[in-house]
Amino acid sequence: MSLPFQEPVPEAARLSPKLLLIDPIRVLPSLLVPLAGVLVAGGFSPRSFIWAALGVAGSVLYAVVRWATFSYTITGGRLELSRAFIGRSTRVIPLERIRGVDVTTPFLHRLLGLAVLKLDTGAGGDKQEGELDGITVEEAERLRAVLLSRHAPIVQERPAAPGDHVFLRVPRAWLRYGPLSGAYLFTPFALVAGAVGLAFQWGGELGLDEDDAVAVGEWLWGHPLLLVGAAVVLVVLMPFLGAAMYAVFNWNFVLFGRGDHLVAERGLVNRRVVSLERRRIRGYEIAESPLERQARVARLWAVVTGLGDSQTRGQLLPVAPRAAVDDIAAEAVGPFSEALRPHPPAARRRRLFRAIAPWVVLALVMYALGYALIGIAATVLAVAGIALGLDRYRSLGHTYDGTRLSVRSGSLRRAQAVVERRAVVGWTIEQSWFQRQAGLVTVIAGVGAGAGGYKAIDAGETQAAAFAAEVTPDWMAPFLKR
Amino acid sequence: MRDALRDPANQVSPRARSLWFAEAVIVTVLLVGGLVLLSMWMTGWEFLPQWLLDRTWVAGLVIGLLLIPFVLAEPVVRFAVHRWELAADVVYARSGWLSRKWVFVPVSRIQTVDKAQGWLERFFGLATVEIRTASYAGSSTIKGLDYEVAARLAEELSRRAQELRDDAT
Repeated sequence: MSLPFQEPVPEAARLSPKLLLIDPIRVLPSLLVPLAGVLVAGGFSPRSFIWAALGVAGSVLYAVVRWATFSYTITGGRLELSRAFIGRSTRVIPLERIRGVDVTTPFLHRLLGLAVLKLDTGAGGDKQEGELDGITVEEAERLRAVLLSRHAPIVQERPAAPGDHVFLRVPRAWLRYGPLSGAYLFTPFALVAGAVGLAFQWGGELGLDEDDAVAVGEWLWGHPLLLVGAAVVLVVLMPFLGAAMYAVFNWNFVLFGRGDHLVAERGLVNRRVVSLERRRIRGYEIAESPLERQARVARLWAVVTGLGDSQTRGQLLPVAPRAAVDDIAAEAVGPFSEALRPHPPAARRRRLFRAIAPWVVLALVMYALGYALIGIAATVLAVAGIALGLDRYRSLGHTYDGTRLSVRSGSLRRAQAVVERRAVVGWTIEQSWFQRQAGLVTVIAGVGAGAGGYKAIDAGETQAAAFAAEVTPDWMAPFLKR
Repeated sequence: MRDALRDPANQVSPRARSLWFAEAVIVTVLLVGGLVLLSMWMTGWEFLPQWLLDRTWVAGLVIGLLLIPFVLAEPVVRFAVHRWELAADVVYARSGWLSRKWVFVPVSRIQTVDKAQGWLERFFGLATVEIRTASYAGSSTIKGLDYEVAARLAEELSRRAQELRDDAT
């Protein structure tokens, strides 16, 4: 007799046994080389055939054991994947944490009516997501329906139209800031490499072969002036082609609002349109190269939950004057003007040591070995390291204004992130052996968006704990020493 | 960090010392074994000085001797450092050996809880609990727990995570 309201006890399900037909075949390619080796080395004797047969039988057995020891269950609002092979492991995934379900049917699976179901939980790392490899297509569809409690509405990514609220049309004049970012500088080399690759790819069709390629190479080698000239031309072209490329990609950049989305549109040849759901924007990142800092321009990205490839897709502005960047950041996320708190003097010593010491060591070794020229070069770099180290220290900082936290760091390229408090999902404090000697730590705010974690490097020990406690007092209070 | 944070309440299982010792020994044996194999091959290297060619096993011996203090110290240090606690719906774990790591994971942000047991852990009756959120920096791995403790912790965490159901990320 069963009690009322009692859930039926769910049975653990297994993957389809048809998987046993696929698994050994998939293992086969990795077995092929050793098998061929055994057959060739053994001279196709009966003994080597026995070894080969054992290898195949082993892979079949392995597939059977893997199949028999894996099971999955949906019970009480969660999915449990358990494997009891040599080691035992159980993975529990609460259903409401599942953000997406991806059903694919690779070729062999399709033949047998099977599918692979992959779960996107937004958890960091690739192997951390759940996977059911080898369930029937019907089961995959059933699971998809069960697992997907909600799904994000699909938005049409189309260009700006009347009725959209335009935040900013980037003036053409701003395109001149492009080369300052250092982006696309290597365009000339990329083009040459592309041309060479194409020549190799299509060369066969045009009646060219490897001998011709070698002949061309030798001819070029015989004319060093030509090579040097070509190299000089490529280097001279760097800023021009880089600027042209930048202009092509960022032509007529428009940022506008459509409903509850922020849409960025850009490009001369292809108009690229990316829309970001505003309620999923959790913060922004600003980056500046040294040249950009001189010219008071910067780049801006949105930190968005559930957005892969955020460095391209999350871009809110091309290289733009700092004032415009701050305006758009305030529009997309909210104004942030809190001053950054500096890190302790020990952090400056550490930055300086790391920027200088390797070059000093190299210089000493090279002088000792008699390579004076390399020694001088290393000495110059060591001296430059003083300025670099001091600049790295000045880049360090963190702060919290009551709703958003901010961290900044960087060597040459200075990057500042501003993230909402509600986006923080945990804290990690790391301390290397060297940091321990200096009484410093790196505190990382875990964020389920953007880069996944934002670091305040070389903060003081008490400073770091106090920072975490200031942002999320409920979580940290029980563990602080008073 | 002694001035800023208190120690997490619970130690890991004392058997974790054996696990870390066994792991360190295995790594050392593999390393020294590899060096011995290499030294057998090195006898053909003409460019090395003769005195070294006559004693190619020295490299393996030196590395082995250098590693012994580490092999002996690691389990002891780790046992002192590795601690964990579940309080006020936050998992607080400390780990490390030469370096240190403190992780704070609120149960309300947990996405998956894994309980895993490798063959060596199984031999010592130990298990690992892996707690994941949407960020690598909010994820924690607690090694060297007694199997029963790990099972209880994993169960408790996944039950509580479900009750709290807080999807803000």
